[in-house]
Amino acid sequence: MVKRGPTAPAVEVDKASFSYNNIKAIDELSLQVPSGISFGLLGPNGAGKTTLIRLLVGLLKPKSGSVRILGKTPSRKTAHLIGYMPQLHSLYTELSVIQNVDFFARVYQLSDKHQRAQRVEEAIRLVDMWQRRKDSVLRLSGGMRQRVSLACAIVHNPPLLFLDEPTVGLDPELRVTFWEHFATLTKQGITLVISSHTMDDAAHCDRLAFMRDGKVIARGTPSELQQATGKPGATLEDAFLYFIHREDRSDS
Amino acid sequence: MIPSQAFTIATRIINQLIRDRRTMVLIVVVPLVVMTLIGLSFPEGTVLDYIAPALLATMALFFSFLLTGISFLRERSQGTMERLMASPVSRLDIVVGYLFGFFIFALLQTLIVVLFTIYALDVTYQGDLWQIFIFQIVIITAAVNLGIFISTFARNEFQMVQFIPLIIFPQIFLCGVIWPVEQMPNYLQWLSKILPLTYGVDGLRDIMLAGKSLLDVGFELAVLVGFAVVISIIAAFTLRRGAAG
Repeated sequence: MVKRGPTAPAVEVDKASFSYNNIKAIDELSLQVPSGISFGLLGPNGAGKTTLIRLLVGLLKPKSGSVRILGKTPSRKTAHLIGYMPQLHSLYTELSVIQNVDFFARVYQLSDKHQRAQRVEEAIRLVDMWQRRKDSVLRLSGGMRQRVSLACAIVHNPPLLFLDEPTVGLDPELRVTFWEHFATLTKQGITLVISSHTMDDAAHCDRLAFMRDGKVIARGTPSELQQATGKPGATLEDAFLYFIHREDRSDS
Repeated sequence: MIPSQAFTIATRIINQLIRDRRTMVLIVVVPLVVMTLIGLSFPEGTVLDYIAPALLATMALFFSFLLTGISFLRERSQGTMERLMASPVSRLDIVVGYLFGFFIFALLQTLIVVLFTIYALDVTYQGDLWQIFIFQIVIITAAVNLGIFISTFARNEFQMVQFIPLIIFPQIFLCGVIWPVEQMPNYLQWLSKILPLTYGVDGLRDIMLAGKSLLDVGFELAVLVGFAVVISIIAAFTLRRGAAG
């Protein structure tokens, strides 16, 4: 584990830009995520949330600006410090639940057999899939696959977790269960960066960044963002629309 | 020695295939059916004896290339490559892991096909059986690496399917499988010199028809090993972290 001061941010993005074939996906974006909280990246499809997460996990390199996680530039050397749950389920469907989680435990170099078995069991139990551990992923529902995918991301006990739209396609009940899992993880001191386009998810986060066209248009706690609208009883959806309109006005 | 991370990947591939029983059955049955049909289409035993080494080399190349290429592509399309690329695993670990994982199955397939061709189709051969196997192993190694390399250029299954005829058909027609390379125009003969199957067919024919030893076909072996090494290094480079999606 990297030794860091208690107030040092888990994620620091400084004027980072990234484009795919001259289309700007991230546009001079700056952001800081404090340690030990759940941080929501909220925005519509195409806002740049996935690209930002891919920059943070080291799959992409910024064309300009800088990206740091736990004080370091993302690379293969920092890979063991992060857990990553991509948008797709990203599982080996022929393998069983336990084989999938165990594979990623090995990939993250948990070489001690006893310790690995313990971590694999803890991760699978956390997502309530222990009863189904011997089942092929192929036989699992979409929601169950999401849970296994989360187990694969947390099996090596990373201090920083990136979850790209983890609640997409989940029924309301399972969505609540997922947020209970996330709360358990933040209680353990893990920093969560969660992307989503639903405001239901946003309300569960400690802090939020509203994203649009590769930029952060507002940031703060859910209540700060709601209060910024100046309307009593404003929802997060109202807050998001308020910031979009404000941005449009300042552009014009 | 295989690095531990490559070993982890190889073990996972083996587990995956073993759990997929239908694929396992097809890996064994399909080459036997193809070989039987080809065998039956040659009523003259001597013609089959002559063409068998080339067919064995072609089948080893074709099936190993196909199996590895498609499953490497699946790694990308199902999103697990994205996960692997964000993990501490190196690109070389992935390529070497794939090589060893698929090598076991390609080897099993080749053992069955060679034995079936010799004993069931009654193809006569010179040389030692173990030397035939060693030579086939080298062809498989080159083909598995070629499969990995080509699949790094395909972004989806449709693209990979286009690569299959592009890689396989020219080799069948230009590498001396059907007619001798010497009878082709000069420029095609030059082209055949850069295709690995040319060396596979030449070497295996020398062993099976002329009774030569592995030492005698050292040049062909060296070219195939060199091809496998170079192509796996290039594959590790083309497998960029950013190209995971």
